[in-house]
Amino acid sequence: MGDRRTTGRLMGRIGLALTALTVFFALLAPVLAPYDPWTSVAEAYLPPGAGHILGTNDIGQDIFSELLYGAGTSLATGFLSAAVSLTIGVSAGMLAGWYGGRVDRFVTKVTAFFLTVPFIPAVILLSAFARPGVVGMALILGAMSWAGTARVVRTQTLAVREKDYIQTVKAMGASDFYLLRRHVVKELLPWILYQGVLRVKSGILSESSLSFLGLGSTVQKSWGSMIYYAQAKNALLTGAWVWWIVPPGLCIVLVSCALMLISYGAEEWMDKRLVRR
Amino acid sequence: MRKRLVHYLIILAVIVVMNFFLPRMMPGSPLKSLAGENPGDLTAAEKMGILEAYHLNDPLPVQFVSYLKDLFTFRWGDSYVKRQPIASLIASRAGWTLLLAGSGMVLSAVIGTGLGAWSAFGRKKKRDMPVLLTTTVISSMPPFWIAVLLLAVFGVRLKWFPIYGAYSMWGAYTGIAKILDTCRHLFLPLVTLVLASLMSFFTTSRYATLKILEEDYVKMARLRGISGKRVVFCYVIRNTLIPVFTLFMMDIGYLLSGSVVIETVFSYPGLGTLMREAVMARDYPLMQYTFLLSSVLTVAALFLADVLYSRLDPRMEVGRG
Repeated sequence: MGDRRTTGRLMGRIGLALTALTVFFALLAPVLAPYDPWTSVAEAYLPPGAGHILGTNDIGQDIFSELLYGAGTSLATGFLSAAVSLTIGVSAGMLAGWYGGRVDRFVTKVTAFFLTVPFIPAVILLSAFARPGVVGMALILGAMSWAGTARVVRTQTLAVREKDYIQTVKAMGASDFYLLRRHVVKELLPWILYQGVLRVKSGILSESSLSFLGLGSTVQKSWGSMIYYAQAKNALLTGAWVWWIVPPGLCIVLVSCALMLISYGAEEWMDKRLVRR
Repeated sequence: MRKRLVHYLIILAVIVVMNFFLPRMMPGSPLKSLAGENPGDLTAAEKMGILEAYHLNDPLPVQFVSYLKDLFTFRWGDSYVKRQPIASLIASRAGWTLLLAGSGMVLSAVIGTGLGAWSAFGRKKKRDMPVLLTTTVISSMPPFWIAVLLLAVFGVRLKWFPIYGAYSMWGAYTGIAKILDTCRHLFLPLVTLVLASLMSFFTTSRYATLKILEEDYVKMARLRGISGKRVVFCYVIRNTLIPVFTLFMMDIGYLLSGSVVIETVFSYPGLGTLMREAVMARDYPLMQYTFLLSSVLTVAALFLADVLYSRLDPRMEVGRG
């Protein structure tokens, strides 16, 4: 057991470190990037070489600089969409589990609907109509992905509601809002954080898919849209894919892995809390 | 059973209603979403004709009735980019998506479950690092990236597989040659789809198997001297299949629709590519009906799975009522 626990904690730490590193690069992109990624700084289609670590794209922009700026888009969309998704999911789930009855039936129906609607076509349709920027896309992704969270939170709230101390505090005259905010959320917090990390990860993956389909923001650099342009400009046929398509994909893989490692650490932490009780 | 059917029918109804309101809630002239980005190019008569064809001059409730009527009589209007009736466009594409997604679903479920159970029999620990790290990396790869890389290496560089479409346009193949040709085109998209959806099956099956191996009745069966093979297949795998099937049910929607991205990379002529073409051309009517159809397919698949589910595990029928 002891061995297992330390590996979980270690994985969590590595994940946190990698994520922090990505955040660091994203925040410092303007300082670290050798060039402005929106201006043509060299000949088009340069292979990697002196001055341009990863070469240049079809209009002579520095690919490495694009990559650094893309980190911000991915992370921002991921975190924001997770926040939206969790806010809706947790509040809906808690309301349903806490009040039961008519509220519960209503929330359960809406949840079932959102669980059934095919996610990818729905977000494609919405983004095509709304043509969102980073915030808009995060809203769309969040609004379409909260249902699973709501379902679990509902079940957990049902269990928490019955706990003795909650009943005691309630009998002492605490309001529902106070109880939900102060006690129920606290009980659910480990799971919410765990779920949050995974939601950030799927937000990042979904953003990259939408950008790859050409539905991303046209003004922001994004790893997905870099691959979109690379494919549109036949990077596959010229061999440029090795430095134009592989690096942004690796970045996505890296961030996603880091987040999953954090989630393993969080899992371990949740287990520990359960054991301690 | 009846209740489940009603449940899914309600969901379908809501999707149909949303499909009506979504484009009508968008800012700007409906002409823009019906006839393309430059309604200014149209003559006044053409404009009236389009408004007439979609009943847009009527009051909203009347529009809704006509919309329903058109929907059920398959008069879905024309795609203005492709200049073809939407219904026949979709009909010609749905088969390819069903082929790709269907075989992908079955293969990833079978391979994922098999590998998961196999790795569980091999190791008795709940966690082991190599397995965990492999699953983490594979499930972190975006499907479109896998697709592009496979295409680059096996399609373009090594030329083992065709890089485009679902069949050879100019090859007049018949019989077995035709089937082989279709399989060759299917191969890379299928591998991508399987890789992209394998891991959830793997993890679920592995975890379930590990848990079941701990169960008393499995140990008892071993003690009673029942052969190892029999224990594996009759006692363990059978029960592993239940959580796997739950996952399968939840993944159906994803698989049917998740192939949008993969189809796009390989220009596979399915619904996904159609939807993406519609999106790129801002062909709103076509977009909506592809969305509608993938929703219908998803709901139908979910319903079917639901029915099968209660057959597979009779305990599920209780409590559902």
